[in-house]
Amino acid sequence: MNKSVLTLQHVDKKFGHGRTAVTALKDANFEVQAGQFVAIIGPSGSGKSTFLTIAAGLQTPTDGQVILNGQPLTHQSEKQRLAYRFNEIGFILQSSNLIPFLNVLEQFKLVDKMAHRKFQQDKAKELLSELALTEVQNAYPSELSGGERQRVAIARALYNDPSVILADEPTASLDTSRSIDVVKRLADEAHQHQKAIVMVTHDQRLIEDCDVVYQIEDGLLSRRD
Amino acid sequence: MYLGLKEMQHEKLRYALLSGVLLLIALVVFMLAGLANGLSEGNRLAVDQWNAQNVYLNKDANKTLSASQLKLADKKYLTGTDIAPLANLSGTLRTTNNKLKTTTSALGTTRDSFLMPTVLTGHQINGKNQLLISAALKDKGYRLGQKVQIGTTDQKVTIVGTYAASTYSIAPTVYTDVSTLNRLKGSPITSGDQQPINAYVTKNSHFKTSKHGGLQRFSTESFINNLPGYSAQNLTLDTMIYFLFVIALAVIGIFMFVLTLQKQALFGVLKVQGIGTKHILAALLTQSIIMALIGISISLVLTVGIAQIMPASLPFAIDWPQFGIYSVALLLASVVGALLSWRTVAKIDPVVAIG
Ligand SMILES: Nc1ncnc2c1ncn2[C@@H]1O[C@H](COP(=O)(O)OP(=O)(O)OP(=O)(O)O)[C@@H](O)[C@H]1O
Ligand SMILES: [Mg+2]
Repeated sequence: MNKSVLTLQHVDKKFGHGRTAVTALKDANFEVQAGQFVAIIGPSGSGKSTFLTIAAGLQTPTDGQVILNGQPLTHQSEKQRLAYRFNEIGFILQSSNLIPFLNVLEQFKLVDKMAHRKFQQDKAKELLSELALTEVQNAYPSELSGGERQRVAIARALYNDPSVILADEPTASLDTSRSIDVVKRLADEAHQHQKAIVMVTHDQRLIEDCDVVYQIEDGLLSRRD
Repeated sequence: MYLGLKEMQHEKLRYALLSGVLLLIALVVFMLAGLANGLSEGNRLAVDQWNAQNVYLNKDANKTLSASQLKLADKKYLTGTDIAPLANLSGTLRTTNNKLKTTTSALGTTRDSFLMPTVLTGHQINGKNQLLISAALKDKGYRLGQKVQIGTTDQKVTIVGTYAASTYSIAPTVYTDVSTLNRLKGSPITSGDQQPINAYVTKNSHFKTSKHGGLQRFSTESFINNLPGYSAQNLTLDTMIYFLFVIALAVIGIFMFVLTLQKQALFGVLKVQGIGTKHILAALLTQSIIMALIGISISLVLTVGIAQIMPASLPFAIDWPQFGIYSVALLLASVVGALLSWRTVAKIDPVVAIG
Protein backbone atom coordinates (compact mmCIF):
# COMPACT_ATOMS: atom_id res chain seq x y z
CA MET A 1 0.00 0.00 0.00
CA ASN A 2 0.88 3.66 -0.20
CA LYS A 3 2.83 3.16 -3.34
CA SER A 4 3.55 6.40 -5.14
CA VAL A 5 2.13 6.42 -8.69
CA LEU A 6 3.39 9.78 -9.89
CA THR A 7 6.31 11.63 -8.38
CA LEU A 8 7.94 14.93 -9.32
CA GLN A 9 11.38 15.56 -7.86
CA HIS A 10 12.97 19.00 -7.86
CA VAL A 11 11.26 19.97 -11.10
CA ASP A 12 12.08 23.37 -12.60
CA LYS A 13 10.50 24.79 -15.73
CA LYS A 14 11.80 27.97 -17.35
CA PHE A 15 10.46 29.61 -20.48
CA GLY A 16 12.74 31.81 -22.57
CA HIS A 17 16.26 32.95 -21.82
CA GLY A 18 18.06 35.75 -20.04
CA ARG A 19 16.13 38.80 -18.90
CA THR A 20 12.80 37.75 -20.40
CA ALA A 21 12.96 34.28 -18.88
CA VAL A 22 9.89 33.19 -16.92
CA THR A 23 10.17 30.51 -14.27
CA ALA A 24 6.84 28.72 -14.26
CA LEU A 25 7.86 26.01 -11.77
CA LYS A 26 10.52 26.22 -9.07
CA ASP A 27 11.90 23.11 -7.38
CA ALA A 28 8.53 21.37 -7.40
CA ASN A 29 8.18 18.20 -5.34
CA PHE A 30 4.99 16.24 -5.64
CA GLU A 31 3.58 12.80 -5.02
CA VAL A 32 0.26 11.06 -5.54
CA GLN A 33 -0.68 7.50 -4.54
CA ALA A 34 -3.23 5.06 -5.91
CA GLY A 35 -6.67 5.81 -4.48
CA GLN A 36 -5.76 9.40 -3.68
CA PHE A 37 -7.61 12.45 -4.90
CA VAL A 38 -5.18 15.38 -4.88
CA ALA A 39 -6.01 19.03 -5.60
CA ILE A 40 -3.58 21.68 -6.73
CA ILE A 41 -4.96 25.12 -6.07
CA GLY A 42 -3.53 28.40 -7.22
CA PRO A 43 -4.36 31.69 -8.90
CA SER A 44 -4.14 32.38 -12.61
CA GLY A 45 -0.63 32.29 -14.02
CA SER A 46 0.76 30.45 -11.00
CA GLY A 47 1.97 27.45 -13.04
CA LYS A 48 -0.87 24.93 -12.70
CA SER A 49 -1.13 24.07 -16.39
CA THR A 50 2.65 23.94 -16.67
CA PHE A 51 2.65 21.40 -13.85
CA LEU A 52 0.10 19.21 -15.64
CA THR A 53 1.82 19.32 -19.02
CA ILE A 54 5.07 18.24 -17.41
CA ALA A 55 3.40 15.45 -15.45
CA ALA A 56 1.76 14.30 -18.69
CA GLY A 57 5.03 14.31 -20.62
CA LEU A 58 3.76 17.05 -22.96
CA GLN A 59 6.69 19.25 -21.98
CA THR A 60 10.07 18.30 -20.60
CA PRO A 61 11.22 19.90 -17.36
CA THR A 62 14.23 22.22 -17.47
CA ASP A 63 15.52 20.36 -14.43
CA GLY A 64 14.42 17.55 -12.12
CA GLN A 65 12.61 14.30 -12.71
CA VAL A 66 9.13 12.96 -13.31
CA ILE A 67 8.67 9.35 -12.22
CA LEU A 68 5.63 7.27 -13.13
CA ASN A 69 5.24 3.81 -11.61
CA GLY A 70 8.91 3.87 -10.71
CA GLN A 71 10.02 4.72 -14.26
CA PRO A 72 11.67 8.09 -15.01
CA LEU A 73 9.91 9.88 -17.83
CA THR A 74 12.78 11.97 -19.12
CA HIS A 75 14.67 10.96 -22.25
CA GLN A 76 11.69 9.34 -23.89
CA SER A 77 11.01 9.66 -27.58
CA GLU A 78 7.96 11.54 -28.88
CA LYS A 79 6.41 8.21 -29.85
CA GLN A 80 6.98 6.68 -26.42
CA ARG A 81 5.48 9.73 -24.76
CA LEU A 82 2.42 9.49 -27.01
CA ALA A 83 1.98 5.85 -26.00
CA TYR A 84 2.56 6.84 -22.39
CA ARG A 85 -0.18 9.44 -22.52
CA PHE A 86 -2.51 7.01 -24.24
CA ASN A 87 -1.96 4.12 -21.82
CA GLU A 88 -1.04 5.67 -18.48
CA ILE A 89 -2.79 9.01 -18.32
CA GLY A 90 -6.41 9.96 -18.38
CA PHE A 91 -7.05 13.60 -19.19
CA ILE A 92 -9.95 15.78 -18.26
CA LEU A 93 -9.73 19.29 -19.67
CA GLN A 94 -11.75 22.43 -18.97
CA SER A 95 -14.02 21.68 -21.89
CA SER A 96 -14.04 20.14 -25.34
CA ASN A 97 -12.75 16.81 -24.09
CA LEU A 98 -15.12 14.95 -26.31
CA ILE A 99 -15.06 14.32 -30.04
CA PRO A 100 -18.04 16.25 -31.45
CA PHE A 101 -18.93 13.67 -34.08
CA LEU A 102 -18.95 10.63 -31.79
CA ASN A 103 -21.85 9.78 -29.47
CA VAL A 104 -21.15 8.93 -25.84
CA LEU A 105 -20.62 5.19 -26.35
CA GLU A 106 -18.49 5.82 -29.43
CA GLN A 107 -16.17 8.01 -27.36
CA PHE A 108 -15.23 4.81 -25.53
CA LYS A 109 -15.18 2.74 -28.69
CA LEU A 110 -12.58 5.10 -30.16
CA VAL A 111 -10.20 4.29 -27.30
CA ASP A 112 -10.45 0.58 -28.10
CA LYS A 113 -10.10 1.19 -31.84
CA MET A 114 -6.88 3.08 -31.22
CA ALA A 115 -5.60 0.28 -28.99
CA HIS A 116 -6.61 -2.33 -31.60
CA ARG A 117 -8.85 -4.27 -29.28
CA LYS A 118 -12.52 -5.16 -29.08
CA PHE A 119 -14.99 -2.63 -27.74
CA GLN A 120 -15.59 -3.40 -24.06
CA GLN A 121 -19.21 -2.36 -24.11
CA ASP A 122 -20.06 -3.74 -20.67
CA LYS A 123 -17.25 -1.81 -19.06
CA ALA A 124 -18.33 1.40 -20.79
CA LYS A 125 -21.94 0.92 -19.73
CA GLU A 126 -20.95 0.19 -16.16
CA LEU A 127 -18.92 3.40 -15.96
CA LEU A 128 -21.77 5.34 -17.53
CA SER A 129 -24.25 4.02 -14.99
CA GLU A 130 -21.85 4.83 -12.15
CA LEU A 131 -21.82 8.41 -13.35
CA ALA A 132 -25.60 8.48 -13.98
CA LEU A 133 -25.15 8.77 -17.74
CA THR A 134 -26.98 5.67 -18.96
CA GLU A 135 -29.80 7.72 -20.45
CA VAL A 136 -27.53 9.80 -22.64
CA GLN A 137 -25.30 7.00 -23.91
CA ASN A 138 -26.40 7.55 -27.51
CA ALA A 139 -26.33 11.36 -27.40
CA TYR A 140 -23.74 13.51 -29.12
CA PRO A 141 -21.67 15.96 -27.05
CA SER A 142 -23.63 18.94 -28.41
CA GLU A 143 -26.81 17.41 -26.95
CA LEU A 144 -25.37 17.10 -23.42
CA SER A 145 -25.31 19.62 -20.58
CA GLY A 146 -21.93 20.92 -19.44
CA GLY A 147 -22.04 18.71 -16.33
CA GLU A 148 -22.93 15.62 -18.32
CA ARG A 149 -20.11 16.35 -20.71
CA GLN A 150 -17.57 16.53 -17.89
CA ARG A 151 -18.94 13.33 -16.36
CA VAL A 152 -18.53 11.60 -19.72
CA ALA A 153 -14.95 12.90 -19.79
CA ILE A 154 -14.37 11.38 -16.35
CA ALA A 155 -15.80 8.04 -17.47
CA ARG A 156 -13.73 8.15 -20.64
CA ALA A 157 -10.55 8.90 -18.66
CA LEU A 158 -11.25 5.96 -16.35
CA TYR A 159 -12.17 3.64 -19.20
CA ASN A 160 -8.61 3.07 -20.40
CA ASP A 161 -7.44 2.14 -16.87
CA PRO A 162 -4.72 4.77 -16.67
CA SER A 163 -2.29 4.95 -13.75
CA VAL A 164 -3.20 8.54 -13.08
CA ILE A 165 -5.92 10.95 -14.09
CA LEU A 166 -5.02 14.59 -14.61
CA ALA A 167 -7.85 17.11 -14.55
CA ASP A 168 -7.19 20.70 -15.59
CA GLU A 169 -9.93 22.88 -14.08
CA PRO A 170 -12.55 20.28 -14.97
CA THR A 171 -15.29 22.49 -13.56
CA ALA A 172 -14.33 25.78 -15.21
CA SER A 173 -17.34 25.72 -17.52
CA LEU A 174 -19.83 24.67 -14.84
CA ASP A 175 -21.93 26.47 -12.21
CA THR A 176 -21.22 25.86 -8.50
CA SER A 177 -23.69 23.04 -7.78
CA ARG A 178 -22.67 21.15 -10.92
CA SER A 179 -19.00 21.74 -10.09
CA ILE A 180 -19.40 20.27 -6.64
CA ASP A 181 -21.19 17.27 -8.14
CA VAL A 182 -18.42 16.63 -10.68
CA VAL A 183 -15.69 16.93 -8.03
CA LYS A 184 -17.56 14.55 -5.70
CA ARG A 185 -17.72 12.03 -8.53
CA LEU A 186 -13.99 12.39 -9.16
CA ALA A 187 -13.33 11.70 -5.47
CA ASP A 188 -15.65 8.68 -5.54
CA GLU A 189 -13.93 7.24 -8.59
CA ALA A 190 -10.49 7.70 -7.06
CA HIS A 191 -11.50 5.81 -3.94
CA GLN A 192 -13.64 3.18 -5.63
CA HIS A 193 -11.25 2.31 -8.47
CA GLN A 194 -8.03 2.94 -6.52
CA LYS A 195 -6.98 5.57 -9.06
CA ALA A 196 -4.59 8.44 -8.52
CA ILE A 197 -6.41 11.61 -9.53
CA VAL A 198 -4.84 15.06 -9.67
CA MET A 199 -7.16 18.03 -10.09
CA VAL A 200 -6.01 21.55 -10.76
CA THR A 201 -8.33 24.39 -9.79
CA HIS A 202 -8.42 27.97 -8.58
CA ASP A 203 -11.69 27.48 -6.71
CA GLN A 204 -11.35 27.10 -2.91
CA ARG A 205 -14.87 25.66 -2.55
CA LEU A 206 -13.99 22.55 -4.50
CA ILE A 207 -11.25 21.14 -2.30
CA GLU A 208 -13.41 19.76 0.52
CA ASP A 209 -13.46 16.24 -0.91
CA CYS A 210 -9.74 16.11 -1.60
CA ASP A 211 -7.39 13.82 0.31
CA VAL A 212 -4.38 16.03 -0.19
CA VAL A 213 -4.19 19.68 -1.23
CA TYR A 214 -1.19 21.39 -2.77
CA GLN A 215 -0.95 25.11 -3.14
CA ILE A 216 0.90 26.79 -5.97
CA GLU A 217 1.88 30.43 -6.14
CA ASP A 218 4.32 31.97 -8.61
CA GLY A 219 5.66 28.53 -9.50
CA LEU A 220 6.20 27.48 -5.89
CA LEU A 221 4.41 24.26 -4.99
CA SER A 222 3.72 23.48 -1.35
CA ARG A 223 1.66 20.84 0.42
CA ARG A 224 -1.11 22.13 2.68
CA ASP A 225 -1.60 20.31 5.97
CA MET B 1 -10.34 4.71 -40.27
CA TYR B 2 -12.87 4.83 -37.44
CA LEU B 3 -12.38 8.55 -36.75
CA GLY B 4 -12.53 9.47 -40.44
CA LEU B 5 -15.62 7.38 -41.16
CA LYS B 6 -17.51 8.56 -38.10
CA GLU B 7 -16.85 12.19 -38.93
CA MET B 8 -18.11 11.71 -42.48
CA GLN B 9 -21.25 10.05 -41.16
CA HIS B 10 -21.87 12.95 -38.83
CA GLU B 11 -21.05 15.67 -41.35
CA LYS B 12 -22.76 14.12 -44.36
CA LEU B 13 -23.55 17.35 -46.16
CA ARG B 14 -20.03 18.74 -45.95
CA TYR B 15 -18.39 15.62 -47.32
CA ALA B 16 -21.16 14.98 -49.85
CA LEU B 17 -20.51 18.44 -51.28
CA LEU B 18 -16.83 17.76 -51.70
CA SER B 19 -17.60 14.36 -53.25
CA GLY B 20 -19.86 16.29 -55.60
CA VAL B 21 -17.07 18.64 -56.62
CA LEU B 22 -14.80 15.65 -57.26
CA LEU B 23 -17.61 13.98 -59.17
CA LEU B 24 -17.88 16.99 -61.48
CA ILE B 25 -14.12 17.12 -62.05
CA ALA B 26 -14.02 13.37 -62.75
CA LEU B 27 -17.01 13.71 -65.08
CA VAL B 28 -15.23 16.40 -67.11
CA VAL B 29 -12.11 14.20 -67.21
CA PHE B 30 -14.04 11.20 -68.49
CA MET B 31 -16.10 13.23 -70.98
CA LEU B 32 -12.98 14.87 -72.37
CA ALA B 33 -11.20 11.52 -72.52
CA GLY B 34 -14.19 9.96 -74.27
CA LEU B 35 -14.29 12.78 -76.81
CA ALA B 36 -10.52 12.63 -77.30
CA ASN B 37 -10.78 8.87 -77.89
CA GLY B 38 -13.69 9.34 -80.23
CA LEU B 39 -11.85 11.97 -82.23
CA SER B 40 -8.65 9.98 -82.40
CA GLU B 41 -10.55 6.86 -83.36
CA GLY B 42 -12.37 8.83 -86.04
CA ASN B 43 -9.00 9.84 -87.41
CA ARG B 44 -7.33 6.48 -87.36
CA LEU B 45 -9.84 3.63 -87.24
CA ALA B 46 -9.28 2.66 -90.88
CA VAL B 47 -5.51 2.62 -90.35
CA ASP B 48 -5.89 0.42 -87.27
CA GLN B 49 -8.04 -1.97 -89.27
CA TRP B 50 -5.33 -2.38 -91.92
CA ASN B 51 -3.16 -4.06 -89.35
CA ALA B 52 -0.11 -2.87 -91.29
CA GLN B 53 3.48 -2.33 -90.17
CA ASN B 54 4.74 0.32 -92.57
CA VAL B 55 3.57 3.08 -94.86
CA TYR B 56 5.70 4.41 -97.73
CA LEU B 57 5.14 8.01 -98.75
CA ASN B 58 6.86 10.42 -101.09
CA LYS B 59 9.77 11.82 -99.10
CA ASP B 60 8.73 15.38 -100.01
CA ALA B 61 5.16 14.88 -98.79
CA ASN B 62 5.88 16.02 -95.24
CA LYS B 63 4.45 12.72 -93.98
CA THR B 64 0.99 13.58 -95.31
CA LEU B 65 -0.97 11.04 -97.32
CA SER B 66 -2.84 13.49 -99.54
CA ALA B 67 0.35 15.39 -100.39
CA SER B 68 2.22 12.22 -101.33
CA GLN B 69 2.44 11.47 -105.07
CA LEU B 70 3.60 7.98 -106.04
CA LYS B 71 3.04 5.70 -109.01
CA LEU B 72 1.88 2.08 -108.96
CA ALA B 73 5.20 1.25 -110.60
CA ASP B 74 7.08 2.40 -107.50
CA LYS B 75 6.45 -1.06 -106.07
CA LYS B 76 9.65 -2.06 -107.86
CA TYR B 77 11.68 -0.43 -105.07
CA LEU B 78 10.06 -2.64 -102.40
CA THR B 79 10.30 -6.28 -101.51
CA GLY B 80 8.31 -8.36 -99.01
CA THR B 81 4.82 -9.77 -98.54
CA ASP B 82 1.52 -7.90 -98.35
CA ILE B 83 2.42 -4.75 -100.21
CA ALA B 84 -0.71 -2.80 -101.12
CA PRO B 85 -1.07 0.47 -103.00
CA LEU B 86 -3.29 3.13 -101.49
CA ALA B 87 -4.94 6.03 -103.26
CA ASN B 88 -7.01 8.51 -101.31
CA LEU B 89 -9.73 11.02 -102.17
CA SER B 90 -11.57 13.13 -99.64
CA GLY B 91 -14.84 14.25 -101.07
CA THR B 92 -18.58 14.35 -100.81
CA LEU B 93 -20.39 11.11 -101.42
CA ARG B 94 -23.78 11.80 -102.97
CA THR B 95 -26.58 9.90 -104.65
CA THR B 96 -27.23 10.86 -108.27
CA ASN B 97 -30.41 12.72 -107.30
CA ASN B 98 -28.44 14.61 -104.60
CA LYS B 99 -30.83 13.37 -101.88
CA LEU B 100 -28.01 12.07 -99.66
CA LYS B 101 -24.73 13.90 -99.21
CA THR B 102 -21.93 12.84 -96.86
CA THR B 103 -18.30 13.74 -96.48
CA THR B 104 -16.24 10.59 -96.93
CA SER B 105 -12.70 9.36 -97.21
CA ALA B 106 -12.52 7.28 -100.36
CA LEU B 107 -9.68 4.74 -100.41
CA GLY B 108 -8.51 2.83 -103.46
CA THR B 109 -6.38 -0.29 -103.43
CA THR B 110 -6.04 -3.47 -105.48
CA ARG B 111 -9.13 -5.67 -105.41
CA ASP B 112 -7.40 -8.55 -103.64
CA SER B 113 -5.32 -6.34 -101.30
CA PHE B 114 -5.15 -6.99 -97.55
CA LEU B 115 -6.43 -3.44 -97.09
CA MET B 116 -9.82 -4.32 -98.55
CA PRO B 117 -12.36 -4.66 -95.72
CA THR B 118 -14.32 -7.83 -95.13
CA VAL B 119 -17.69 -7.48 -96.81
CA LEU B 120 -20.72 -7.99 -94.54
CA THR B 121 -23.52 -7.62 -97.09
CA GLY B 122 -23.22 -7.65 -100.89
CA HIS B 123 -20.03 -8.80 -102.53
CA GLN B 124 -16.35 -7.93 -103.00
CA ILE B 125 -15.35 -5.63 -105.83
CA ASN B 126 -15.17 -7.75 -108.97
CA GLY B 127 -15.56 -5.23 -111.77
CA LYS B 128 -15.23 -1.64 -112.87
CA ASN B 129 -16.82 1.25 -110.99
CA GLN B 130 -17.88 -0.65 -107.90
CA LEU B 131 -17.84 0.71 -104.36
CA LEU B 132 -17.90 -0.71 -100.83
CA ILE B 133 -19.33 1.51 -98.07
CA SER B 134 -18.82 1.43 -94.30
CA ALA B 135 -21.57 0.86 -91.73
CA ALA B 136 -22.18 4.54 -90.91
CA LEU B 137 -23.05 5.25 -94.56
CA LYS B 138 -25.40 2.29 -94.69
CA ASP B 139 -27.09 3.68 -91.57
CA LYS B 140 -27.43 7.04 -93.34
CA GLY B 141 -29.54 5.39 -96.05
CA TYR B 142 -27.08 4.45 -98.80
CA ARG B 143 -27.93 0.98 -100.08
CA LEU B 144 -26.65 -1.79 -102.31
CA GLY B 145 -27.19 -1.22 -106.02
CA GLN B 146 -27.38 2.55 -105.62
CA LYS B 147 -25.43 4.74 -108.09
CA VAL B 148 -23.35 7.40 -106.37
CA GLN B 149 -20.76 10.06 -107.17
CA ILE B 150 -17.77 11.19 -105.13
CA GLY B 151 -16.13 14.56 -105.47
CA THR B 152 -16.60 16.82 -108.45
CA THR B 153 -16.35 14.49 -111.46
CA ASP B 154 -19.33 13.03 -113.27
CA GLN B 155 -18.08 9.48 -112.76
CA LYS B 156 -20.79 7.24 -111.32
CA VAL B 157 -20.06 4.15 -109.24
CA THR B 158 -22.36 1.44 -107.87
CA ILE B 159 -22.49 0.37 -104.25
CA VAL B 160 -21.95 -3.39 -104.22
CA GLY B 161 -21.09 -4.15 -100.61
CA THR B 162 -20.95 -2.88 -97.04
CA TYR B 163 -18.50 -3.51 -94.21
CA ALA B 164 -18.01 -2.67 -90.52
CA ALA B 165 -17.70 0.88 -89.16
CA SER B 166 -14.50 2.51 -90.40
CA THR B 167 -13.33 6.11 -90.45
CA TYR B 168 -10.34 8.08 -91.66
CA SER B 169 -9.88 11.83 -90.99
CA ILE B 170 -13.17 11.88 -89.06
CA ALA B 171 -15.09 10.75 -92.14
CA PRO B 172 -16.59 7.34 -92.89
CA THR B 173 -14.60 5.42 -95.48
CA VAL B 174 -15.54 3.86 -98.81
CA TYR B 175 -13.28 1.43 -100.68
CA THR B 176 -12.83 0.85 -104.39
CA ASP B 177 -10.05 -0.26 -106.73
CA VAL B 178 -7.24 2.06 -107.83
CA SER B 179 -8.53 2.59 -111.38
CA THR B 180 -12.02 3.51 -110.23
CA LEU B 181 -10.60 5.88 -107.65
CA ASN B 182 -8.48 7.55 -110.31
CA ARG B 183 -11.56 7.94 -112.51
CA LEU B 184 -13.40 9.49 -109.56
CA LYS B 185 -10.45 11.84 -109.07
CA GLY B 186 -10.47 12.69 -112.75
CA SER B 187 -6.81 11.85 -113.16
CA PRO B 188 -5.54 11.56 -116.78
CA ILE B 189 -4.14 8.04 -116.31
CA THR B 190 -6.64 5.43 -115.07
CA SER B 191 -4.95 2.20 -116.07
CA GLY B 192 -1.50 0.61 -116.16
CA ASP B 193 1.35 1.02 -113.70
CA GLN B 194 1.86 4.73 -114.31
CA GLN B 195 -1.38 5.45 -112.41
CA PRO B 196 -0.95 7.86 -109.51
CA ILE B 197 -1.38 6.58 -105.99
CA ASN B 198 -0.63 8.17 -102.60
CA ALA B 199 1.12 5.46 -100.67
CA TYR B 200 2.19 1.87 -100.33
CA VAL B 201 0.94 0.16 -97.19
CA THR B 202 2.71 -3.04 -96.18
CA LYS B 203 2.79 -5.68 -93.53
CA ASN B 204 6.27 -6.95 -94.04
CA SER B 205 8.60 -5.16 -96.42
CA HIS B 206 11.79 -3.25 -96.96
CA PHE B 207 13.61 -1.43 -99.73
CA LYS B 208 15.02 -3.77 -102.34
CA THR B 209 18.22 -1.81 -102.82
CA SER B 210 19.71 1.40 -101.59
CA LYS B 211 17.79 3.15 -104.40
CA HIS B 212 14.58 4.41 -102.80
CA GLY B 213 13.09 6.23 -105.80
CA GLY B 214 11.87 9.15 -103.68
CA LEU B 215 9.99 6.89 -101.22
CA GLN B 216 10.27 7.14 -97.49
CA ARG B 217 9.33 4.44 -95.00
CA PHE B 218 7.26 5.16 -91.88
CA SER B 219 5.94 2.99 -89.13
CA THR B 220 2.14 2.93 -88.98
CA GLU B 221 2.33 4.61 -85.55
CA SER B 222 4.32 7.55 -86.91
CA PHE B 223 1.99 7.73 -89.92
CA ILE B 224 -0.96 8.02 -87.52
CA ASN B 225 0.75 10.65 -85.41
CA ASN B 226 1.25 12.72 -88.54
CA LEU B 227 -2.36 12.57 -89.66
CA PRO B 228 -3.42 16.20 -90.13
CA GLY B 229 -4.39 17.71 -86.78
CA TYR B 230 -4.14 14.37 -84.99
CA SER B 231 -1.29 15.09 -82.58
CA ALA B 232 -2.30 18.69 -81.92
CA GLN B 233 -5.83 17.58 -81.08
CA ASN B 234 -4.68 14.85 -78.73
CA LEU B 235 -2.16 17.12 -77.05
CA THR B 236 -4.79 19.80 -76.44
CA LEU B 237 -7.32 17.41 -74.92
CA ASP B 238 -4.70 15.50 -72.92
CA THR B 239 -3.31 18.74 -71.50
CA MET B 240 -6.79 19.73 -70.36
CA ILE B 241 -7.16 16.34 -68.69
CA TYR B 242 -3.80 16.63 -66.94
CA PHE B 243 -4.75 20.07 -65.68
CA LEU B 244 -7.90 18.59 -64.23
CA PHE B 245 -5.80 16.18 -62.15
CA VAL B 246 -3.96 19.17 -60.72
CA ILE B 247 -7.27 20.91 -60.06
CA ALA B 248 -8.60 17.81 -58.27
CA LEU B 249 -5.46 17.77 -56.14
CA ALA B 250 -5.82 21.47 -55.35
CA VAL B 251 -9.53 21.22 -54.49
CA ILE B 252 -9.02 18.30 -52.10
CA GLY B 253 -5.84 19.85 -50.73
CA ILE B 254 -7.41 23.25 -50.00
CA PHE B 255 -10.60 21.77 -48.60
CA MET B 256 -8.78 19.35 -46.31
CA PHE B 257 -6.39 22.10 -45.25
CA VAL B 258 -9.24 24.46 -44.31
CA LEU B 259 -10.94 21.66 -42.37
CA THR B 260 -7.66 20.87 -40.62
CA LEU B 261 -7.26 24.50 -39.58
CA GLN B 262 -10.82 24.47 -38.26
CA LYS B 263 -10.18 21.30 -36.29
CA GLN B 264 -6.82 22.29 -34.83
CA ALA B 265 -8.23 22.49 -31.30
CA LEU B 266 -9.84 19.07 -31.61
CA PHE B 267 -6.62 17.55 -32.98
CA GLY B 268 -4.75 19.14 -30.05
CA VAL B 269 -7.11 17.41 -27.61
CA LEU B 270 -6.63 14.11 -29.46
CA LYS B 271 -2.88 14.46 -29.15
CA VAL B 272 -3.18 15.19 -25.42
CA GLN B 273 -5.03 11.90 -25.15
CA GLY B 274 -2.26 10.05 -26.96
CA ILE B 275 -3.91 9.86 -30.37
CA GLY B 276 -1.12 11.12 -32.58
CA THR B 277 -0.42 12.58 -36.02
CA LYS B 278 -0.45 9.12 -37.59
CA HIS B 279 -4.05 8.46 -36.61
CA ILE B 280 -5.22 11.95 -37.53
CA LEU B 281 -3.63 11.69 -40.97
CA ALA B 282 -5.15 8.25 -41.43
CA ALA B 283 -8.55 9.83 -40.81
CA LEU B 284 -7.91 12.57 -43.41
CA LEU B 285 -6.71 9.97 -45.93
CA THR B 286 -9.71 7.72 -45.28
CA GLN B 287 -12.00 10.64 -45.95
CA SER B 288 -10.31 11.81 -49.12
CA ILE B 289 -10.10 8.28 -50.54
CA ILE B 290 -13.75 7.62 -49.83
CA MET B 291 -14.82 10.92 -51.35
CA ALA B 292 -12.68 10.25 -54.42
CA LEU B 293 -14.09 6.73 -54.81
CA ILE B 294 -17.66 8.00 -54.53
CA GLY B 295 -17.04 10.85 -56.97
CA ILE B 296 -15.18 8.69 -59.48
CA SER B 297 -17.62 5.80 -59.50
CA ILE B 298 -20.70 7.99 -59.86
CA SER B 299 -19.06 9.96 -62.64
CA LEU B 300 -18.15 6.72 -64.46
CA VAL B 301 -21.78 5.63 -64.30
CA LEU B 302 -22.87 9.05 -65.56
CA THR B 303 -20.32 8.94 -68.38
CA VAL B 304 -21.59 5.56 -69.57
CA GLY B 305 -25.16 6.89 -69.34
CA ILE B 306 -24.36 10.07 -71.24
CA ALA B 307 -22.55 8.04 -73.91
CA GLN B 308 -25.78 6.11 -74.50
CA ILE B 309 -27.90 9.18 -75.15
CA MET B 310 -25.26 11.10 -77.06
CA PRO B 311 -26.01 11.73 -80.76
CA ALA B 312 -24.13 9.25 -82.96
CA SER B 313 -22.53 12.12 -84.86
CA LEU B 314 -20.55 13.08 -81.75
CA PRO B 315 -17.35 11.05 -81.74
CA PHE B 316 -17.16 9.44 -78.30
CA ALA B 317 -15.39 6.26 -77.28
CA ILE B 318 -14.86 4.72 -73.83
CA ASP B 319 -11.45 3.13 -73.41
CA TRP B 320 -11.73 1.19 -70.13
CA PRO B 321 -8.00 0.66 -69.46
CA GLN B 322 -7.47 4.40 -69.98
CA PHE B 323 -10.45 5.28 -67.76
CA GLY B 324 -8.95 2.95 -65.15
CA ILE B 325 -5.66 4.82 -65.26
CA TYR B 326 -7.44 8.19 -65.03
CA SER B 327 -9.48 6.93 -62.05
CA VAL B 328 -6.29 5.90 -60.28
CA ALA B 329 -4.75 9.28 -61.13
CA LEU B 330 -7.74 11.10 -59.61
CA LEU B 331 -7.53 8.89 -56.53
CA LEU B 332 -3.81 9.64 -56.19
CA ALA B 333 -4.51 13.35 -56.62
CA SER B 334 -6.94 13.16 -53.68
CA VAL B 335 -4.46 11.24 -51.54
CA VAL B 336 -1.69 13.76 -52.27
CA GLY B 337 -4.17 16.59 -51.65
CA ALA B 338 -4.94 15.20 -48.19
CA LEU B 339 -1.24 14.70 -47.46
CA LEU B 340 -0.67 18.44 -48.03
CA SER B 341 -2.08 18.93 -44.51
CA TRP B 342 0.54 16.60 -43.03
CA ARG B 343 2.84 19.35 -41.76
CA THR B 344 -0.03 21.32 -40.32
CA VAL B 345 -1.28 18.29 -38.42
CA ALA B 346 2.22 17.36 -37.26
CA LYS B 347 2.85 20.90 -36.00
CA ILE B 348 -0.25 21.07 -33.80
CA ASP B 349 1.09 21.31 -30.25
CA PRO B 350 -0.98 19.44 -27.66
CA VAL B 351 0.24 21.88 -24.99
CA VAL B 352 -2.07 24.58 -26.36
CA ALA B 353 -5.06 22.33 -25.64
CA ILE B 354 -4.26 22.74 -21.95
CA GLY B 355 -4.92 26.30 -20.89
N1 LIG C 1 5.01 28.40 -23.57
C1 LIG C 1 5.24 29.41 -22.69
N2 LIG C 1 6.13 30.37 -22.99
C2 LIG C 1 6.38 31.38 -22.12
N3 LIG C 1 5.78 31.49 -20.95
C3 LIG C 1 4.88 30.58 -20.57
C4 LIG C 1 4.55 29.49 -21.43
N4 LIG C 1 3.62 28.71 -20.82
C5 LIG C 1 3.36 29.30 -19.65
N5 LIG C 1 4.13 30.39 -19.48
C6 LIG C 1 4.15 31.26 -18.28
O1 LIG C 1 4.30 30.46 -17.16
C7 LIG C 1 3.48 30.92 -16.11
C8 LIG C 1 2.56 29.82 -15.65
O2 LIG C 1 1.61 29.54 -16.68
P1 LIG C 1 0.47 28.44 -16.53
O3 LIG C 1 -0.23 28.35 -17.84
O4 LIG C 1 1.05 27.22 -15.99
O5 LIG C 1 -0.50 29.11 -15.45
P2 LIG C 1 -1.89 28.60 -14.88
O6 LIG C 1 -1.71 28.46 -13.43
O7 LIG C 1 -2.34 27.41 -15.62
O8 LIG C 1 -2.84 29.82 -15.19
P3 LIG C 1 -4.41 29.83 -15.54
O9 LIG C 1 -5.13 29.61 -14.28
O10 LIG C 1 -4.63 31.21 -16.07
O11 LIG C 1 -4.61 28.77 -16.56
C9 LIG C 1 2.76 32.14 -16.65
O12 LIG C 1 3.46 33.30 -16.22
C10 LIG C 1 2.84 32.00 -18.14
O13 LIG C 1 2.88 33.26 -18.73
MG1 LIG D 1 -4.04 26.95 -16.90
